Amino acid sequence: MVSVPLSRRGFLAGIGGVGMASLLGACATGSDDSSAGAASTTLTLQSSLSDPDPKAALTKVVEGYSKTPVTLNTIAIETFRAQLPTYLNSGNPPDVLTWYAGSVARDYAGKGFLLDVSDLWTGNGACAGFSDALKELSTADGKQIFVPTNYYWWGVFYRKSAFQEWGVQVPTTWDEFIAVCKTIKSKGVAPISMGTGSTPWVASGWFDYLNLRINGAEFHRDLLAGKHAFDGPEVKTVMDHYRQLVEYIDPKGRSYSWQDAVTPLTAKKAGMYLIGAFITSGVPSDAVDDLDFFRVPIIDPSVPVAEEAPTDGYFASAKSKNPEGAKELLSYLASAPAQQQFIQLAKSSNLPTSQQVDTTTFAPLVQKGIKLLNESKAITQFFNRDSSDELQTTADTALTKFLDKPGDVNKILAEWQASAKKVLGS
Amino acid sequence: MTALAAPPRKKRLRAVPKVVWFFLLIPAAVEIGMVFWPAVNSFYLSLTEWNGLGAAKPVGLDNFKNLFADDIFRGALWNNVIWAIGFGGLSVLGGLALAVALNRPRRGVGLYRSAIYLPMVFSLAVTGLFWRVQYQPDGTINTLLGAVGLESVEKQWLANPDTALYAVLIAAVWRQVGYVMVLYLAGLKSTDPTLDDAAATDGAGPWQRFRYVTWPQLRGVNTVVFAVTVIDSLRTFDIVWAMTQGGPYHSSELLSTYMFQQGFTFLNLGYASAIAVVIFALALIFIITYLVRATKEEVA
Repeated sequence: MVSVPLSRRGFLAGIGGVGMASLLGACATGSDDSSAGAASTTLTLQSSLSDPDPKAALTKVVEGYSKTPVTLNTIAIETFRAQLPTYLNSGNPPDVLTWYAGSVARDYAGKGFLLDVSDLWTGNGACAGFSDALKELSTADGKQIFVPTNYYWWGVFYRKSAFQEWGVQVPTTWDEFIAVCKTIKSKGVAPISMGTGSTPWVASGWFDYLNLRINGAEFHRDLLAGKHAFDGPEVKTVMDHYRQLVEYIDPKGRSYSWQDAVTPLTAKKAGMYLIGAFITSGVPSDAVDDLDFFRVPIIDPSVPVAEEAPTDGYFASAKSKNPEGAKELLSYLASAPAQQQFIQLAKSSNLPTSQQVDTTTFAPLVQKGIKLLNESKAITQFFNRDSSDELQTTADTALTKFLDKPGDVNKILAEWQASAKKVLGS
Repeated sequence: MTALAAPPRKKRLRAVPKVVWFFLLIPAAVEIGMVFWPAVNSFYLSLTEWNGLGAAKPVGLDNFKNLFADDIFRGALWNNVIWAIGFGGLSVLGGLALAVALNRPRRGVGLYRSAIYLPMVFSLAVTGLFWRVQYQPDGTINTLLGAVGLESVEKQWLANPDTALYAVLIAAVWRQVGYVMVLYLAGLKSTDPTLDDAAATDGAGPWQRFRYVTWPQLRGVNTVVFAVTVIDSLRTFDIVWAMTQGGPYHSSELLSTYMFQQGFTFLNLGYASAIAVVIFALALIFIITYLVRATKEEVA
């Protein structure tokens, strides 16, 4: 039957198989061999900006860099986050990576994975002119390890024409705010929109702000670092205030994502939405000019005003084969023209970290955002950035449960503390 | 070359030539290196604490001890039991009923079969997104309920911890039922129609004919359907992730979604591997018990 076991076709197929196998082998170890030769000349920029506009913007910005060739790898954020330790720990890591300021970056710095970029923050360095708050944010163990390039603000967004229709004024105190909610509700409109369905972290926005307004930024940071208890008296006061809001929050928001919850706001079926400036990307262009925001009302005037301003930027890998090249690329990305180009091409409402960027051409809303942050005494990031994604899920569980059953608040806080302790202890 | 050396042993030529073994080695090496070795590694990882950085720290059975003290894990395990019974039961019953109903050639039966099988061509993620729209507060389902005067039943299906898991379950069954139907249709085609006719002549009713004539002939298909269903229900991930991500507050969490969250969001790779080992063990227990039973029956 198999008298000629080795036919020509069989042999060729076999050769093909060998070829495939060696190809596969090359894939498995490719990260080490194939790019090693090029490492000294070509820089790798690993980016998690996979949304079309920011991706196109960064591509354009990188194209404008001529000192060394740069390979831009864009990876979806979920994969990027999961792979980040692997990237940083590999023998031939990407030289520069997108990330955000906060505790996660500091953790990596503590493990020695991040390049010390302190010299960019002194003398003529690209970051030397950045604010002290940004410098502090980018510092770990006395060294700067992060290059912030843009940030955004949070506020209570509303439609100017809708407020006029309903005859309400922008509130500045808590009592005024509750009164506005009451008036809007009496018009048959949900006063507050909030998409906590597939994006439950949105519920942390109000938690963060109420905590900042009642207990202040320092307490807030310490709480997220595990130095205070989530079932302590301070947090209970915060939840008492949160509870006053529950009846005014659109109940349908529980099924919405943050993007879905923008629709009722633009359709004037909801009054206000506490969210980041990224909301402008989800509002139809004809409504953007009608969109405005106000500062979350002051509750205790003796507490210094704090705002959330999540900051995005880059860090470099400590194991980069070309640390000087990486720093030069970082300097370029942090430069005023590159920042301006990126922000405008990305069509975001983000603010530049460089004070040399001419912001007079930016939209009035963005200028108002800059003013809001300049007037605040302290800056925080956001719940997950000030703690960790794992602690964020404990907040998501506790707060969405609270929105469903505000009466169980004590039980919910005790559970929150227990699960937070488990996360922080590990 | 080997072929030329072979003639003296012509009688044993039916044996596989050495060079074929050599070529077989390559896929075997790929399989071992890229499938089995990582799988074995996850057993090792389940006994360690590892966040992807540096060396994994061996912690013995701590991960498993923590697992069984973890409310979310126990909830997920229980949800998996509900899921396996609901998903398996409904899709097998539905698929079998549809197969029996659509087995006889009739006008337009092909159209019905294709329509029922159609959801299977969508990926689970797409199915999830599609159903998420139906389940929205102002979506089709609530609108239909309102139209027939059942406003009191309207719910936020995916945002209510009492209904979220079942809402996802229905979406998953909607997709799976066509697949099971096709498997049973193939099984029914291979049954002997003369037996059915003979039983009918002897005066057996439709149920008796199905239960005592057709059903025993479907044993082979049943094994396939059972294995496919158990494996599918244990590995269910995409549809839950697309619809609820395990929420609200872990009420629709399955072992697979919890494993993904622990492993790839929190980077607790040791803990996640321990969950993976539990999933593996469960799948193995079900499949082995069933196979043992099935082979025993065949021998008997």
